[in-house]
Amino acid sequence: MVRYCLLSVLAVFLVLGGFWQPYDPDAVDILARHSGMTASHLLGTDHLGRDVLSRIMAGGWRTTCVILAVGLTGFVGGTFLGTAAAVLGTWRETLILRCCEFFIMVPTLVVALTAAAIFGLSPLSAALALGLAGVGPHALLAHTLSKRVLGQPFILAAQSLGVSSFGMISRHLLPNTLPLMFAYVGNQAGLAVVAYASLAFIGLGADPSEPDWGAMVFEYRVFIFDHPMLMIWPGTTIAITVSALNWAFDDFQA
Amino acid sequence: MHPVRLGIQSITGMLAISLASFTVINSMPADPVAIAIRVWNLPATDETVAALRAEWGLDQPLLFRYCDWLTRFLTGDWGRSFRTGEPVLGEFLERLPISLSLGMAGLALAIVFAIPLGFFAAAHPKGVADRFSRTLSVFVQAVPGFWLGLVLLWVLGVQLRWIRLLAQDWTAAVLPILLIALHSVAVLARVYRRDLMETATQPYFRTALAKGLSERQALWRHGRCGALYALLAAVRSEAGWVIGSTATMEILFGLPGISQFLVQSIAARDQMVLQAYVMVIVLWMLVMNGGAYLAMRFLDPRLA
Repeated sequence: MVRYCLLSVLAVFLVLGGFWQPYDPDAVDILARHSGMTASHLLGTDHLGRDVLSRIMAGGWRTTCVILAVGLTGFVGGTFLGTAAAVLGTWRETLILRCCEFFIMVPTLVVALTAAAIFGLSPLSAALALGLAGVGPHALLAHTLSKRVLGQPFILAAQSLGVSSFGMISRHLLPNTLPLMFAYVGNQAGLAVVAYASLAFIGLGADPSEPDWGAMVFEYRVFIFDHPMLMIWPGTTIAITVSALNWAFDDFQA
Repeated sequence: MHPVRLGIQSITGMLAISLASFTVINSMPADPVAIAIRVWNLPATDETVAALRAEWGLDQPLLFRYCDWLTRFLTGDWGRSFRTGEPVLGEFLERLPISLSLGMAGLALAIVFAIPLGFFAAAHPKGVADRFSRTLSVFVQAVPGFWLGLVLLWVLGVQLRWIRLLAQDWTAAVLPILLIALHSVAVLARVYRRDLMETATQPYFRTALAKGLSERQALWRHGRCGALYALLAAVRSEAGWVIGSTATMEILFGLPGISQFLVQSIAARDQMVLQAYVMVIVLWMLVMNGGAYLAMRFLDPRLA
């Protein structure tokens, strides 16, 4: 129960950042530079007088979009490929699985780098790349789960009753694999946050002037001597978000 | 699986990935000729464009260009970088040792630390080592390495003044290597522990206890090899992660490694560098995969 409360608080915070921030995250106020934590700027302002809390909230919304896109890409692609492999069988199964295994071998970062180079720097391309990199593991999991379900007696019973292959997949196979697949996607959400932050940190997440948690850590790292709190806040936000996500979904161990 | 089969599979995989990445990279919307003309300040006349296109073979069909690129790549001609104008191979040879030593040192350090940590965690469930490794694995999952590095720089460098910031000698590599190792230590120690715990449920483990070995002795003598096997299997997937953490560490600590060069090349749409990078990464993964496989085969002759 507690974890659902925590998760909903997190979700509210992240979604709220999509349409409301205390200040305009890009509004420069040169008179209020490095204000520190005050009543009007809860987390202080940066070197251009921009409100840090507003920037974190705006970054949170972008991160949410990335998590959802990553999850959706991996979930849809992986479920489709894995189920197809399990149902088709024979050489097509081997082919799909081999391709997935090879695809897993190419590290996420390289996929993301290539995508950033081709599609330009946007959260969408980063999310697409991270999602594509997740298709391989998702497909392997979906395949294992489907194989397990296909070995059950009720599948044999349905087959002897003459259920069509479409009905078999939609009525008997997917309802049994999707809940576990869904749990796995949630399990990977924390990983996606860190991966996106890392990409933004090395400058491949999005336009560096846009507020992103990873990009903020990169931007504020130069103030480590005088204003270390600037880089502490976005990092703490990442850590709290990832911990909450991991904790909320840790029932499922893949 | 036979080593020859593994070799054939690796080479096929490498060719497949190279073809796929070549197709993708060459279908980028950016025109390399336009970039080159802008970067080198050439006159943008039709003759220059045609000459450059002919020189780089851009007027040829894609498959032909791929074969041409592959033969050149195999003979050591990796093309020239648009951005710097230097041969790509030379640029890589200059930077690769830095990244490679960071990654290898991190991975090796992780294995060295993971074995005792995993062992003591398994020997004393709910003991200090077990709790520590569990906390560590939760911690490294949530806290990104680059931020942890920054916080450490602040605490150790700015507040306590134990380390020099912006050091230019070998000491600059100590913190990145430790941070790269940290994530892998947590993962590998958990894998090692889990396999040892499985050993403890086996009948031969009970026999060993009945012979009079203490639990710790029995675990070490009878579980060591099996757990090392599981550890090596995990190292294969950890090798991919290490590339990512090496990249963030290079950026954070300003080490002139391959990733920093790559990020700059991406901004300039430097296709040759990108292609060569993909090949280097695939090669690294294949070497790690093959190395781990050979070691696993050595541990478990049944695989032969």
